[in-house]
Amino acid sequence: MIKRRRFLFAIAALLPVLAIYAWVRVMPIAEILRLSLHRWDIISKNKPFIGLDNFRELLGDDLFLTALTNTAIIAFGVLAITIPLSLAIAGLIHHRTRSRFAGVWETAIFIPHVVSLVPAAMAWKWIFDAKLGPLNALLANVGIAPRAWLFDPVWSIVCIIVLCSWQALGYAVLIYLVGFKNLPKSLYEAAELDGASGLQRFRFLSVPMLKPITLYVSVVTLVSGFNVYAQAFVLASDSQGAPGRQVRVLVLDMLENAFRNYRVGYAASEAVVLLCIVLILTLIQFSLLRERRRS
Amino acid sequence: MIRYRSLVQSVRNFTDASPDASRLASPVSRLAVGVAGVLALGASTVNAEELKVWSGYPELAPFYERVAEGLSDKYPDLDIVVEAIPLREHEKRVALGLSSGSAGAVVVELPKSTASRYLENDLLTPAPEDVVAAVEDSGNYGEFFVDAASFGDTLYGVPLFRGQGALFYNTAMFEEAGLDGPPETMAEFTEYADKLTQRDADGNPTVSGWSLRLSGGGQGIAEKFWINMFQYGSNLMEEAGDGQWRATIDNDAGRAAFAQYLDNVHVKKNVTVEMPADAEAFERGQTAMFIRESWVIGDIAAKAPDLEYATAPLPVGSIALPANLFLSAEGDVARAAWDYALASNEAEHLVWMLDNVGWLPNRGDVDYSSVLDVTPALGAFVDYPEGYEFFTLPAIGPIEEILTRVAATLTDAFANADLAGNDSGIDETLAGLEADVNKILDREGLLAE
Repeated sequence: MIKRRRFLFAIAALLPVLAIYAWVRVMPIAEILRLSLHRWDIISKNKPFIGLDNFRELLGDDLFLTALTNTAIIAFGVLAITIPLSLAIAGLIHHRTRSRFAGVWETAIFIPHVVSLVPAAMAWKWIFDAKLGPLNALLANVGIAPRAWLFDPVWSIVCIIVLCSWQALGYAVLIYLVGFKNLPKSLYEAAELDGASGLQRFRFLSVPMLKPITLYVSVVTLVSGFNVYAQAFVLASDSQGAPGRQVRVLVLDMLENAFRNYRVGYAASEAVVLLCIVLILTLIQFSLLRERRRS
Repeated sequence: MIRYRSLVQSVRNFTDASPDASRLASPVSRLAVGVAGVLALGASTVNAEELKVWSGYPELAPFYERVAEGLSDKYPDLDIVVEAIPLREHEKRVALGLSSGSAGAVVVELPKSTASRYLENDLLTPAPEDVVAAVEDSGNYGEFFVDAASFGDTLYGVPLFRGQGALFYNTAMFEEAGLDGPPETMAEFTEYADKLTQRDADGNPTVSGWSLRLSGGGQGIAEKFWINMFQYGSNLMEEAGDGQWRATIDNDAGRAAFAQYLDNVHVKKNVTVEMPADAEAFERGQTAMFIRESWVIGDIAAKAPDLEYATAPLPVGSIALPANLFLSAEGDVARAAWDYALASNEAEHLVWMLDNVGWLPNRGDVDYSSVLDVTPALGAFVDYPEGYEFFTLPAIGPIEEILTRVAATLTDAFANADLAGNDSGIDETLAGLEADVNKILDREGLLAE
């Protein structure tokens, strides 16, 4: 009886949270799935059902395919930079935990994550500026010719990867530091007694034991990478006198289709594609980790 | 007393009115005051009858506020909130606000090309008889402007101002280059741009001869291309009757305009994609000439009052994009909203707008000479040669999508050096653009046979 009461109490306590979650998370996803099968211009009351027509059109839409490619490159680029770099930085900070500057390093690394995105992107826009930017000035000192970073089709994507990685790094380092602090000290002491160097301890103890953390960080980084929007928007914003190539990313394409081209159903089908990609990648990451654990 | 305000002003007033304002210096206190101000503002809107004025041009906020002030005696209990934000955000706000019905009573500034979707779906209010009489009085507005505020045979808006292009050129740079007047043909544009370009020791341009719109987001790139193409004798699209349209990019005019862009950027290199561009570059002396609307005159007066410049009409004609005040309102506040729209067209306000903001009023029976006399740069926008032609954006639903897609393709094409002097590449690009536009028109049932 008491058990049943406890169970009911637990359910009752969870219900408000579950209800909010369903309202703000599950329902919008369901609505997006529904809209993706309809043609709707956001204004008219008619929303004719068109089956998979939106998805068929996506396959032949050059702008969408460009956006998808750019987004994937950015997401994986950020992942490729963030994971090894944050692991290495977290390792170094952890190694110097007793240093009186440890707090300074942690803060310095974490600050970009809490800095407001738009001013940060504006600062990077200035850094990458072809005429006035310090990056070109610096490169000129070592004999490298200046580049139009924000206009070149390849370099403009690299710029977004750099900006996103700079922002993602702080959070990843923080999570890795938590992981480092929870690793059993006895293993490190044993390895030290066996003559393992610091690098070997990092390579053969820390990295394998931090795999769950790596999984979590990589999932979060990849998902946020696929949701990139503001960075691309600000770096190439069409404010006067500030040239920049608009790097087309999925969220930007969705917003443009929904609120500029008034094609909400079509934009919803893009959102469904994004959802599927993120889900599939997350499942792959989880299954890879599971296989490695078994092996 | 009327309570017109902008949001920023409301918070400022709240702070000023506080007896302990001097103690509210810390950021936390200011934040608290800001939040309190916003809450107070929200509370006030519950009680007062509110009319919002939505504009896509922040520089017009003082104009709309001035009009609101003028209505204070007639509508003492009306709360007029002016919200002027950048155009692209304004368009999103209108789409969401009008379609969801959450906008409330609102006067919306829109060109017909954008308003057509809302008009098709009965989301904007038809004008009452007195407004129709005032607007359709041929002494007030030309037929072009009345049409731009109508849908079918019904008038829905009050004409206000128009975007119209002209050449802005730096007279000091022209003099230095030995040029005694503006270019009069498109060939001269390139020729002059070459002479005006300033270069460093390595031959790289430091000041562009002619600032072309080559990058950025949105449809502006396509609009600017259309303006240049128009000088060669064609529009980007043409109407084939019965509201049906077709793309007309892949023709001699399109080829000439596109080749001129590529020639200037990649062959003559008198402008590059990474150079500062547009009004800001002109105001800073980073470009010698560019094509833009009349608002730049007000911008120059504010930001670069010592700049030596003049304006000139374009070789053939210009875009004219009339903006109207439409409204979505019911009951008593609708009457007040129409009165607001009419008041915005009072001679005193229009002269003030022309003088202080620089947008061109559409009302024709007003004496603007007091402004034109002291601002000769406005001359190119009102005293154009006989036979000067105008075009406007088609009032069809997918026009933004069409221009945005054209812009996306053009941005890549302008940056592609391989296309310069490459006739087959140019033809292929233009054919692709035409096919893209026709595909959208076909999808929307607007493609002419």
